[in-house]
Order: sequence, then C-alpha cells, then structure tokens
Amino acid sequence: MNLAFRNEIAITVLLSGGAIADVKVEPRSRPPLTRLFAGKPAASLLPVLPRLFSLCSVAHQVAYLSAVEAARGDDAAPMTMRRRITAVIAERLTELLRSLFIGRLALDGARAASVRAMMQAGAVLCAGADESGPETPRREAVLQIKSALGELGIAGEDPAPGSMIAAYLAGLDAEALTSPLAEPSFLTAADDLDIVTRLSRDGADFSDAPDLHGRIPETGVWARRIGRQPVPPPGAGPAERFKARIAEVARLCAWLEGSGQDHDDSAVAAYRLGSGKGAAAVECARGRLHHAVELDRDDRIVRFEFLAPTEWNFHGRGPLVRSLKGAVLASGRRGQDAVRALVDSFDPCVGFSLSYREAGHA
Amino acid sequence: MCLAIPAEVTKLLSDEMAVVSIDGVSKEISVALIEDLAVGDYVIIHVGYALTKIDPEEARRTLELLRELSAEGQGAVP
Repeated sequence: MNLAFRNEIAITVLLSGGAIADVKVEPRSRPPLTRLFAGKPAASLLPVLPRLFSLCSVAHQVAYLSAVEAARGDDAAPMTMRRRITAVIAERLTELLRSLFIGRLALDGARAASVRAMMQAGAVLCAGADESGPETPRREAVLQIKSALGELGIAGEDPAPGSMIAAYLAGLDAEALTSPLAEPSFLTAADDLDIVTRLSRDGADFSDAPDLHGRIPETGVWARRIGRQPVPPPGAGPAERFKARIAEVARLCAWLEGSGQDHDDSAVAAYRLGSGKGAAAVECARGRLHHAVELDRDDRIVRFEFLAPTEWNFHGRGPLVRSLKGAVLASGRRGQDAVRALVDSFDPCVGFSLSYREAGHA
Repeated sequence: MCLAIPAEVTKLLSDEMAVVSIDGVSKEISVALIEDLAVGDYVIIHVGYALTKIDPEEARRTLELLRELSAEGQGAVP
C-alpha cells in the first residue's frame, strides 16, 4: 500500500500580463493523530512524535509534554523547563543552519564535511531534550558549529566577502520581482491563548486554515527579527530574510555559549484550558508551533490537535500569498527564479513545488 | 510539519548520489551529508538530501505507523 501523504506544499502561480494575478496553495497532508491515538495513554504519543516529525522533533515533543502537563494541572520544574528551552533553541539553531546551505549551495567534499560537522554538533545540543540523559557539552558543540560556519564563510552576523554565501546573496535578483505594498502582520506569544483556545475548540476546522479574526500573520525568522527590532529594513525580500536567518544563527550561538540565564521567555509557554485540557506553544525555526490536548480522568487521550507555523505563512490568504499576489515579475526564468527565492525565504524547512499558469487557462 | 518518511537506499551512484525507495517509489538523492552509507540502509530525506541514517527496525516501525495513519486518513469523512 502506498502512503497517501503529500509531503510538500504545491504552489501554483497564475500570471496575467507580466504580473501575478493569483496564487493557489495546496497544503500538505496532516496525519490524523487524534483518530489513531484517542483512548490511548497520554504517554503513548510522545515517542511517536520524533518518528513522524524529523525536522522539528524537539519542538513537537516539548509542546506535547508541556500541553499534557497543563492538562493534568502540573507545572514543569524550573530546571526541566530550562533544559527544554535549551533543546528548543538548539534545534532552532540546527534547522536554521541547515537551511542556509542544503538545497541552496553546491556541497562538495569540504563543504559537505563542514555541514556534517554542524549537524552532528546540533544533534549533541538537541540531546538536552532527554531529561534522563547526560548534561549537554554545550559550549564545545557551539564552538564546533562556529568553526564550521567560519569554514563555510559566515563569521558573526554577516557572510564573509568572497564566500559562497556572499555570492548567493549577491546573485539574488531584487529587480526581478516587485511585490505589492502590504501591511505586515506578525504572530507573537500574545496571540497564543486565542490560538490554542480556538485550536482546542475547533480542531482541524481552525488549524487547516487558521486566522485571528481575519488576520493571518507571519511567523518565523522574519517575525522574530521584526519583534526584536521593530524598525524594519528597507525591503522584506529574499536577501533581507536570508540575512535575518544568519543574524539569528549568530544570536542563538551566543545564547547557547552563555550561561543560559537570560533565556527567551517566549520559547516555550503552557496554558491550562480547563479540566483535563491543556495547550502549549513553542517557538521553533519556522515559527510558532501550537499543541492542544484533552485527557480523560485515566490520563488517556480524548483529543490532540496541533497547528504548525507553516499553516500561517503558506495560508491561501497568508503572508506569502500577499507578497506574491499583484507582484510584477521579470519574464521567463529570471522571474521564476525570483519567485522561488521568495518562497524559499519564508520558511527554512518546508518542501514545495512551484508551477505557473496563465490566469483564465484551465 | 514535515513528515519523516524513511527511504531505503537501493543503489549507490557516483558523485555522492544514490537511488532510494520511498514506499516503493524510486528517487535519486544526494548522500553527501551521510558517511558510510550502504545499500539496504534507511535514511530520512529532506529537499533531495539524505539527512540522517536510521535503524532499520526504527524505519519499519515508522513505516507501519505511517501506513496506519494513511489508512485512518483515507477512511475519514472529508
């Protein structure tokens, strides 16, 4: 039997007279976890999450653990919370690092070795999610990541002149796609309670196409960048977004190198939603991930819902579509490359396919 | 939300490429990021790259779980 999962987002760009008339987004399949796990012990779902979600497994595990604790009326111990936050930050760093190189730049022998070294160090950092495991040799792993980054041409928040990353940025064609001016909107931790309340109440009806009273905000690297420095740079194109990823990588390395005392308070949050009901939010690489859980008196799953950050950014009326719809693009390959770069810059992990059609043609 | 569907390496090619089978569907991918890969190994793929090698038993359990979820999804009322 073939697996009936669509694991990438299909984006169709409808063109009319050198401009983008419309954009259709076909989302990925969502595994029906509630139906399979309803009636099973709460603990039974935890080991399944990393098996299903390979790229953000720590974020999913932490979100689920936090939501289950909230449903039970428990609070995580401060040390446990700190280890979870460290693991979430480490995973965010690892995902962002990978997104800077994989699928974007040619990885020959030496470069591939550097990326491998980064990924191995990232795995060491993420091991902090296992509370029964040994203390993570954090600084050593971060040093290994910084060393590999240096080999790949990134020192601090900027690519080194002459590096392949600098060449990639220089090659991005800002003139090939002119996006319409749109009022930006960003998801923050202040939206959590509204989101998890609706997620818990409406389930997939909400999470398949979420909105906040008509607002479909952006989440992820760019939203965090604007949250830290509300005065935005002149553009919000692929180059600016890519630089924001590099800057966040530098910040996360610095955080993990430090004492960890001054942690990011919005990285993990848990919410009690009533008897047997709990929820959590985790700030992962691609944005804010939400889980909602309902348990019965015997600690069995009645309901489990999750909302991935991608559902905001790739919503049919969301931030990516708003950036594309009405945009004027260069003809041929040049315009198509610019669209691909913009889509790619919205999410560090998601796989997607792009196709083009003249508007009005079936 | 990216599902981790295990892929079995069926053929190693030159230039750090390989052919993998994802639930019976063949695909050519880069294995530049994985060391010591052999035919029969299972890997997790992302955007055309093998990211990690996983234990065959773990791969079997994951595929079993994905089939269960797939069957549940196909039986669902839209």
